[in-house]
Amino acid sequence: MDKQLITYIKDELHAGDAGLEITPQDDLLGSGLVESMGMMKIIGFIENQYGITVPPRDMTIENFLTVEAMVNYISSRQ
Amino acid sequence: MDFSWPEHHLAYRKEVEAFARQTLDPAVADRDERGIFSREAWEKCAEFGIQGLSIPKAYGGTFEDRDLLRATLAMEGFGYACTDNGLALGLNAHMWTVQLPIFEFGSEEQRKKYLPGMAAGRLIGAHALTEPDAGSDVFSMNTRAEKTEGGYLLEGEKHLITFGPIADVVMVLARTNPALGKWGISAFIVERGTEGLIQHPVQSKMGMRTVPIGKLSFQQCFIPEENRLGAEGAGFSIISHSLEYDRCFILASQLGSMERQLENTVDFVTRRRQFDQPIGKFQSVANRVADMKLRLETSRMLLYKAAWLKSQGKSAMMEAALLKLQLSESFLASSLDAIRNGGGIAYLTETGIERDLRDAIGGVLYAGTSDIQRNIIAKLLGI
Repeated sequence: MDKQLITYIKDELHAGDAGLEITPQDDLLGSGLVESMGMMKIIGFIENQYGITVPPRDMTIENFLTVEAMVNYISSRQ
Repeated sequence: MDFSWPEHHLAYRKEVEAFARQTLDPAVADRDERGIFSREAWEKCAEFGIQGLSIPKAYGGTFEDRDLLRATLAMEGFGYACTDNGLALGLNAHMWTVQLPIFEFGSEEQRKKYLPGMAAGRLIGAHALTEPDAGSDVFSMNTRAEKTEGGYLLEGEKHLITFGPIADVVMVLARTNPALGKWGISAFIVERGTEGLIQHPVQSKMGMRTVPIGKLSFQQCFIPEENRLGAEGAGFSIISHSLEYDRCFILASQLGSMERQLENTVDFVTRRRQFDQPIGKFQSVANRVADMKLRLETSRMLLYKAAWLKSQGKSAMMEAALLKLQLSESFLASSLDAIRNGGGIAYLTETGIERDLRDAIGGVLYAGTSDIQRNIIAKLLGI
């Protein structure tokens, strides 16, 4: 799941930048790798890909700061 | 695919239209001229159940369950039958950008404390986001909320706030952790009369003159911990959520206005005769009417799709941006066409046709300008 998310972030938010390295623990928000619009796109991807609904109150830094946090959140919702 | 509406939704829209046509004060031209908001009309709307459409009955809502599609159609009917576009704007702002976030993000105590009064028309809500130096770049806000014993101290200024001068409940967004940028923003509920909250006088404006807007200042304004809406840092989510709903629903009533405008235009150009024939027989006039119809129907499709997505609990960022852009620009263009078709008569204030044009201009500015909607669309396309 973490590889799928990283691939999505690289392909969709960074135009497939081959030189971009993202680890599951990287701070996506503080580093600027994902900005507000990108976050909304990731949430749409997660909802479609993993068949869950992300309610607005779950869109917090704790759940989306890193790919690892996203994986944990998705697992808790499945 | 099925484009039809359930009968009970259509029937409710008819009820809303009848209420708006029969009950609301028709003296809108006078209120517009003097820039007066009708609290009486607001209370009548609440009594009918308009404000309660965005929340379930358990918190004072009109129906057992919140039904976004029914609410969309109802507000479209409201705009069709009520010529007070400012009242419709105020209702939608109150319902979707204050009541709804309190319902979605609020604690049970907050829901019970504020929502019944808001739905009943006793309390008016304001959404305080925009600042003098943070308009389109909304996340660059300067208003701060410093943690202190038992709560927060708010310091800053908001402007262009719908209902700011008279609101009873203000939902304000402020920075709680500047180091986290847009992820360090939180939302707070501030009640009228709170020490340090200054509600400035109503500011005069070009259109939507029947709904008050103005500035709010927060000077060492203490907000107890229990008045924070959602978790600390939930501001990003609350803003994104509110803006999406705002863009989806705030213009539903303007779609109704466009329908009314088109019907009135068709009626006029078929009755008005010049050069021995109805002016609608002239191609230049007929083409403008056809364009008005096209704008109405494309806006309608986008509105219904966005409303359907939101009713399914799905994200509608692209659809909301497309809708906001298309509907607001369409209302503006069609309002100008209505004046061109109506000629000198439409230029007179007493007809109300020129008021639609003034009211329409705000739509391409508030809740994200048309330029911003285009940026969102382009960005979501990967540009």
